[in-house]
Amino acid sequence: MSAQYNSTQTKYLSEFYHLPEFKGLEGYKKHGGYADLAKALKMQPQAIIDEVKASGLRGRGGAGFSTGMKWGFLPKNNEPRYLLCNADEGEPGTFKDRMMMEKAPHQLIEGMIISAFAINSKKSYIYVRGEYDDSINALEAAIQEAYKAGYLGKNILGSGFDHDMDVYRGAGAYICGEETGMISSLEGLKGQPKLKPPFPAVQGYLKKPTIVNNVETLAVVKYVIRDGAAHYRTFGTEKSAGTKLFSLSGNITKPGNYEVPLAFPLKDMIYGLGGGFKPGRKLKAVIPGGSSAPVLTAEEAERATLDYENLAQMGTMLGSGAIIVIDDAQCMVQCLANLTHFYHHESCGQCTPCREGTGWLDKIVHSILAGKGRMQDIELLIKVADNMKGKTICALSDAAALPVLSFVTKFRDEFEYFVREGKSKVKGTAFKGASHVEMHH
Amino acid sequence: MAVVTKENKNVWYLPGVMGGLWITMKHLIKNLTNKKQMITLNYPEEKYEYSPRFKGNHILTVKKDGAIRCTACMLCATNCPAECITIKASEHPDAHVEKYPINYEIDMLRCVFCGFCEEACPVDAIRLGPEWQTPGLNGANFIYDINHLAYRPQLKGGVQSAVDDKDRNKAGI
Amino acid sequence: MLKCTINGVELEVKPGTTIIQAMNENAQKIAHYCWHPGLSIAGVCRLCMVEVEGNPRVQIACNTMITEGMKVNNTSEKVKDAVKWGLDFHLINHPLDCPICDQAGECGLQDQYMEYGKYNPEMAEAKQKKHKVVDLGPTVVLDSERCILCSRCVRFTDEVSKTNELGIFNRGDHAEIGTHDGKQLDNKYSLNTVDICPVGALTSKDFRFKQRVWYLKDSETICNGCSTGCNVKVYFNKEGLFRVKPKHNEAVNGYWMCDEGRDTYKFVNKEHRMLKGYKYAAGSWHNETHAGVAAKDAAEFLKAVKSEDIYLVLTGQHTVEEYEAMLETFVNTYKTKNVFHWWPQEAQASEFDGLLIRGDKNPNTAGLKQALAKFGINTKWSDLEQSLKSGKVKELVVIGPENFAVYKDLDQKIELFANAEHLVYATSVKVPALENCKTLKMATVIPLKSYIEKDGTFVNHAGLAQKFKKATTVVSEALTGTELAQLLSGKALQINPVSEKALFTAVSNTRPDQVTLDHRKKNEFVFNRGRL
Repeated sequence: MSAQYNSTQTKYLSEFYHLPEFKGLEGYKKHGGYADLAKALKMQPQAIIDEVKASGLRGRGGAGFSTGMKWGFLPKNNEPRYLLCNADEGEPGTFKDRMMMEKAPHQLIEGMIISAFAINSKKSYIYVRGEYDDSINALEAAIQEAYKAGYLGKNILGSGFDHDMDVYRGAGAYICGEETGMISSLEGLKGQPKLKPPFPAVQGYLKKPTIVNNVETLAVVKYVIRDGAAHYRTFGTEKSAGTKLFSLSGNITKPGNYEVPLAFPLKDMIYGLGGGFKPGRKLKAVIPGGSSAPVLTAEEAERATLDYENLAQMGTMLGSGAIIVIDDAQCMVQCLANLTHFYHHESCGQCTPCREGTGWLDKIVHSILAGKGRMQDIELLIKVADNMKGKTICALSDAAALPVLSFVTKFRDEFEYFVREGKSKVKGTAFKGASHVEMHH
Repeated sequence: MAVVTKENKNVWYLPGVMGGLWITMKHLIKNLTNKKQMITLNYPEEKYEYSPRFKGNHILTVKKDGAIRCTACMLCATNCPAECITIKASEHPDAHVEKYPINYEIDMLRCVFCGFCEEACPVDAIRLGPEWQTPGLNGANFIYDINHLAYRPQLKGGVQSAVDDKDRNKAGI
Repeated sequence: MLKCTINGVELEVKPGTTIIQAMNENAQKIAHYCWHPGLSIAGVCRLCMVEVEGNPRVQIACNTMITEGMKVNNTSEKVKDAVKWGLDFHLINHPLDCPICDQAGECGLQDQYMEYGKYNPEMAEAKQKKHKVVDLGPTVVLDSERCILCSRCVRFTDEVSKTNELGIFNRGDHAEIGTHDGKQLDNKYSLNTVDICPVGALTSKDFRFKQRVWYLKDSETICNGCSTGCNVKVYFNKEGLFRVKPKHNEAVNGYWMCDEGRDTYKFVNKEHRMLKGYKYAAGSWHNETHAGVAAKDAAEFLKAVKSEDIYLVLTGQHTVEEYEAMLETFVNTYKTKNVFHWWPQEAQASEFDGLLIRGDKNPNTAGLKQALAKFGINTKWSDLEQSLKSGKVKELVVIGPENFAVYKDLDQKIELFANAEHLVYATSVKVPALENCKTLKMATVIPLKSYIEKDGTFVNHAGLAQKFKKATTVVSEALTGTELAQLLSGKALQINPVSEKALFTAVSNTRPDQVTLDHRKKNEFVFNRGRL
């Protein structure tokens, strides 16, 4: 286990997650809850934005865009504006937001009130994934507690700042995790991303300026205010500052959420925190940032560190921090089939390359799985995925194309074997995932 | 303008004429003595057997259930150099069929039997058959209507197309 | 004004212009399906790809504003490849329905395939199955498999007709256009969705399977359905007229027209038309006569009566030129000012639905009013009624309406006209009420040409005079109003001579593939087939 990890100071968010009392207002306040809100409300809003900018905090939802800069895009006027919290955690492999909302709903609420104060927003929504019953219950209870205690509503803590917060339950679409898709859904429209420009910071929810941030990003704001930007920057690297929650899953002995400083070696994450593999198994591949991130081979994973720039250099991304570990007992063709099926099912159907391309990729991979693959199908997968990249309104098309490109190029021998022999190169694997391409209406 | 004249080199034409007459005579004698080798036929008692690819009168093919295969796409009529095909389309009660001809006429006197209709047809609905002896007394007898084209007695209930509906569905047609 | 370069051509555009607008206005070719100048931007077909200098990625032209000095091209290999694949994504699940699809021949997919087709289909998997022949409403049929989900129709019902009937249901590659349960696509502009559908997904029930579009010719004219005067295209061949579609004119109708206007072609077809002249005398209809003969006979009657006994009735359904010729004949030749304006929608004339449809169902009421004013005529309809009832009217000439579906009072009016000693009724359509009228004394019926068959001018509700040209001839024997006026005045018809030179230059200008006089002079035989 890494020495760095043992220090409790590196745990910003998850320091008290093991305490059940942290969920309630009393327990939360016992451990420093809402103290930073009082501090923030005494600051100038612009000073908070500057502090967040200085901290180098980057969006934790997947894109990794500088949070302070995003807030800076808001028009400088008194137009009503909205703060939306993106808790539609749909990326396969990611489950950190769920833990945050269930274990410490007040942490998120406090971070959101501070952020709302910074951008002068009177109303915020938490858009929660429809399946997250416990999170929604926890958040709703916490919001009521906060209203009673005067942290929400009119004139918060005597500062003259008013803020209202609501929880909105999504209906279960991956695409509503995309910020404009989420805005559409919140507006009561079909959950489909909107054309950009205009960007949400200029024209978002109800055509008003809107900031959309991830659960983790908003919660972290509290700690940036508590300790100051300089202290936050002591973790991680120049471009990837601070700590991050990683969701470790797959063929690993100790899956779970781990908060570590950025630039933490992936190797340590897998073998140290994750506890390594079952006896007799070894590492084959790692998807480092949720299912949309290109896969890393075992050899690449040995070298990788968990920060934005190193993973970008290796041709993949940190994404939402969902590390999916694949050991050598898995068939890569079947893994990819699971992914293509997911994207086929989740494409909103707005842009043609994505609507038709995700289905096409899925059908090709499944025909290979069914033993009906042709050699040219492997090349075709690359061609189709290549032409889906960067051609659509949102990034779902890219998200579907990138895994295909990386799986097929990095594990081409497995695909070729499957086409040639009609069965998997890895013995003892029978596909149990999505076996049908045709979906029912 | 100028009149083109040709210099007449061969003045002795009579031997040529005699030669020609001799060839005629030779064949006459040969045919009289050996009838089997004769290259003409005693029509109509004897009839010539044409190749299977012979382009004779048109046939509209039918599906397994006996309905006309034609979808009234009018590509044959568009392609026809003699403009002898007239089609009237209508909405079929069965949504899977969608469009079908309620009237399909070929004016046989205008037809030049080029076979373009056969080639243009995307569904193998029209073919040029082996039949060619179709005399008639009246001009109107030569405008073949849809029933004649598909179900005339010689066709014994209609000619089925080899293209199977299932295959076509598979191919997405 | 912003300067930019598109495909090497320098252009000046207004700020706020998108690349696709600039290309469209300057006749540059760009593939697109979802973008329509009359609708909002959807940006979903991803076909209008362009390369902007300084951006390594291709981007869509419909949502990119032109900036100063921007250099754009859509002819590079990179763009062509992107469009080729974009088109292939449209086609992989598209059924090969072309033989039975009404859109074939004017289909966006076919057009772009000729330009950007991949020509080696790589899709070996089964196509997505969706609903076919879906009855969307009283006018439109949907085929979901053909649909490319460009959302034009959905945006039309949201933004233009504001009826919101259509929507996209489901997601991904099984998304389909549809209406909510129990709701129908039923509004007064529903057939515009068929026009803007770039593929054969939406087809018009009226036109469905009537003709293949390549058998049709088109010609531009003015709709005679109401006083808006929409610019339209009529589609016809030798069998008659088959459909009417709107033509863009920002000042009048934008890109749209109403469903009512699309039905106006119907009465022009032969089965509804008056083909010959007829006479009624001594209680029965006599044998048909030639239109010209009937008109000459009528002229004899006119000459025989005093000028104050001659009455003329006009409707707002004819051209300005015809009104002036008629008034010339009656006011100047026959010296009568008994000219009356038959206008059943006078009370509803100011009605307007906010988009296109107006209460006055005559295309040229304003033109008729102008002509009447020009000849100093100011009469009241009640005067005519009185004169007719008192039996004062010896000669009544009625230039009847052609679209009499909007003349609800036709039957009563015919009964009224029957009071005249001799009725001359000129009409382009058959009038059953006239044929069955029991009280007729003496009558002459003269066939007229319809608005499709003549040149002329309509003045719309706003006073805009719009000239239109003859599209085709349906009833060759019928007379135009101008010809009728000439015959009624007792003169013979004139044929306007056209100078040979003008004719030939016109021909050589419009048909470059023809053998011209210049070529003949040089004694060369040049024959270009031209583009097929």
